[in-house]
Amino acid sequence: MSNADQRTDVSEGSSGDEYAVSVPEGRGRDRDADGEASTIIESRDLSVWYNDNQALRSVSMEIPEKRVTAMVGPSGCGKSTYLRSINRMNDLIDAARVEGEMLFNGKNVYDDDVDPVALRRRIGMVFQQPNPFPKSIYDNVAYGLRLQDRTENLDEKVEQALRKAALWDEVKDQLDQSGLDLSGGQQQRLCIARAIAVDPEVVLMDEPASALDPVATSKIEDLIDEMAEEYTVVIVTHNMQQAARISDKTAVFLTGGELVEFDDTEKIFENPENERVEDYITGKFG
Amino acid sequence: MSEAYEGFGRVSRRIGTLFRGVLFASTLAGILTLAVLLVYVANDAVRPLTADPGWHLTFFLTLVLPTIGVGWWSYQRSYGTLTTGLLGTVLPAVAALYAGGLAALFIDVIPTLVWLSFVVALAVPAALVVGLARTDRDVPFLAELATVLAVTVGSLLVIPGLVQSLPTVPADWMVLVLTLGIPEAILLGRWIGGRWGRRDGWIAGVAILFGSAVGGVIGMTTGLGAIPGVALALFAAVPTGLYVAIVARERPERRIGLLLPAVIVGGALAGELLVGALGFAGPESWVDWGFLTSTVQRGADPGAVGIYSGVVGTILLMFVVAAIAVPAGVGAAVYLEEYAPDTTLTRIIDVNISNLAGVPSVVYGLLGLGLFVRYAGQPTGTLLVGGATLALLVFPIVIISSREAIRAVPDSARQASYGMGATRWQTVKNVVLPRAFPGILTGTILALSRAIGETAPLLVIGAAQVFGVPNSWDSAIGAMPLQLYVWASTYASPAFYTTVLAAGIVVLLTAMLSMNSIAIYVRNHYEQR
Repeated sequence: MSNADQRTDVSEGSSGDEYAVSVPEGRGRDRDADGEASTIIESRDLSVWYNDNQALRSVSMEIPEKRVTAMVGPSGCGKSTYLRSINRMNDLIDAARVEGEMLFNGKNVYDDDVDPVALRRRIGMVFQQPNPFPKSIYDNVAYGLRLQDRTENLDEKVEQALRKAALWDEVKDQLDQSGLDLSGGQQQRLCIARAIAVDPEVVLMDEPASALDPVATSKIEDLIDEMAEEYTVVIVTHNMQQAARISDKTAVFLTGGELVEFDDTEKIFENPENERVEDYITGKFG
Repeated sequence: MSEAYEGFGRVSRRIGTLFRGVLFASTLAGILTLAVLLVYVANDAVRPLTADPGWHLTFFLTLVLPTIGVGWWSYQRSYGTLTTGLLGTVLPAVAALYAGGLAALFIDVIPTLVWLSFVVALAVPAALVVGLARTDRDVPFLAELATVLAVTVGSLLVIPGLVQSLPTVPADWMVLVLTLGIPEAILLGRWIGGRWGRRDGWIAGVAILFGSAVGGVIGMTTGLGAIPGVALALFAAVPTGLYVAIVARERPERRIGLLLPAVIVGGALAGELLVGALGFAGPESWVDWGFLTSTVQRGADPGAVGIYSGVVGTILLMFVVAAIAVPAGVGAAVYLEEYAPDTTLTRIIDVNISNLAGVPSVVYGLLGLGLFVRYAGQPTGTLLVGGATLALLVFPIVIISSREAIRAVPDSARQASYGMGATRWQTVKNVVLPRAFPGILTGTILALSRAIGETAPLLVIGAAQVFGVPNSWDSAIGAMPLQLYVWASTYASPAFYTTVLAAGIVVLLTAMLSMNSIAIYVRNHYEQR
């Protein structure tokens, strides 16, 4: 299967040890040669309330397939809320209420006939704080597969996922040790391995590197770059340079839950249309 | 320079110091009062002053001095060394206490043949469940459940009768080896196998099974009794041996801490030998073997009276209370924390559970009387009625402590699980309950140790005296606190106040404190992780 071959290539090509010191001007990725990507996620007039507070105001955007889309903006601007409304994690909060549409492969995930549990099995998620389970490394990666009863060739799938997360070489001799014994950066890569072990189509990342040191951050960024070969990555970040380095598209949210500008990362960082976006990016506020 | 210094002046702290002293006094007031009382009671119960001075001196030299010396040395070495030694001392003692209680059940209450027949009857569906889980199959869940239930009911109806009509049956202690030794050998063998490798697991499993049989033989030859021999081997010797093995194998730097229990055991034995050889008389303690095993309730001679019926009654009550209150309480806690929506109704339930925990125990007794005796028509004072009443009493405590344990599971763990596409049930089973388990266990033990001391509800449901050792589910029972109550009231004689009553208090408090110490150990052990 060509898909499997591609995966092996990805794992072998990992360059986890490199550490980019310089922050490139504009975006660091060059995926334009692939041509225009098709849309996998699209929101139409999506609004979210927490009780009476409106966290998102009628956001419409199209997220391209197998690209890295970054969401930036100041605290409380709704970028995390947007991310969590893609895989309906907001359902877990009693007070949250959603209006508008969130289309995933053309289907509104808020339709009555969509099972949020089944949805989340196709849209993986990585959180701000590394949160491995207090189980062995192996059991952490196998967690999602076991949930879905996909336990044939489990060893192989666990190895694949760890390789793709650039963690295999570091942990292959200690798979039965607790995931909590790893360093913070390794824990976060373990969480990424856990998320991609079930072969999701989309991986959502909520500030995945904000709790990590610069070296670990750089490894995660390299990893995200490679993941975009195979998965659609949507990442929320506080760090403007990070968005510039790793993303193809950037969405800028500003206070009040408004999507102010959404465009190619290059354009956002070099020539934003909105004045407030320019002020935010150049550090005049936020 | 000195002028500048004097210029600061001084600020009075007299009131602050006084306040601090008052606070300190109020901290100590309760503890000191209780401590004085306990010393008084313990003195009446154990009567250390009746022993020869030589007896005290001998044990001081062989036991107390070496223990203090080694303990101090361990502490100097490292705190971990000392705790290893203390645990190595306390574990066998507490385990032996509970093994003794278990042996009492099999000697007096549960006919071993009936026990064997039900174990066999339940082993059949258990084997079916394991078999179903192992095989690859596409059987719908409900069909599986129905099969298992049908097999369970069928085997419970048929097998006990079959087993009990067998022409030859194994001896009592052999039954224990079969029904308790084999499962323990399998469980611990697997656990050790996972920890240290397959071969060691097999060795351990075989050793446990063989050791339990040896325990039975030793028990028979020493006059201890075969059943206590097996129980002590399985539930005191095996855990102790396992602990020693774990320390020796995985904590080499703490291995030396095991010197402490060795010194204590060795010192006690040496002291005993010396005292016997030199002819020193020990204290004429009221807490002795006769007191623990006598079933006599009243009479002029306090020396003939014993607490055995109360001990057995309490053990049985604890089983019934745990069987009712723990599943229901933990279930309620999981529902309230993980499933219940935040509505007015759940808030009302919330507040009321906290109130239930504060309802006086005599009210629960009246509730039990009304519900189980008057309404359900059960006879008064039986094991089931008493256990169910005490279960009602501790139910809110189990709920509250379990909820706290569940709430302490970090939300990020749940998010991780839901984010992977887990259902609520999968998240509760795989993430929430395993992490909350130590806390739930601690809370449950503390709730049981509350139930162990309750007297009022049992009085109200009609167990106003101690009826001797129970032998079935509907025989009337007593309990340790009730035993104390009747010695202080119904059967009271002036001779009792300073003799058996004091001894009974010591036994009851020992049981309670051992449970509390287990709870505290479990909590601390898992908090360090």
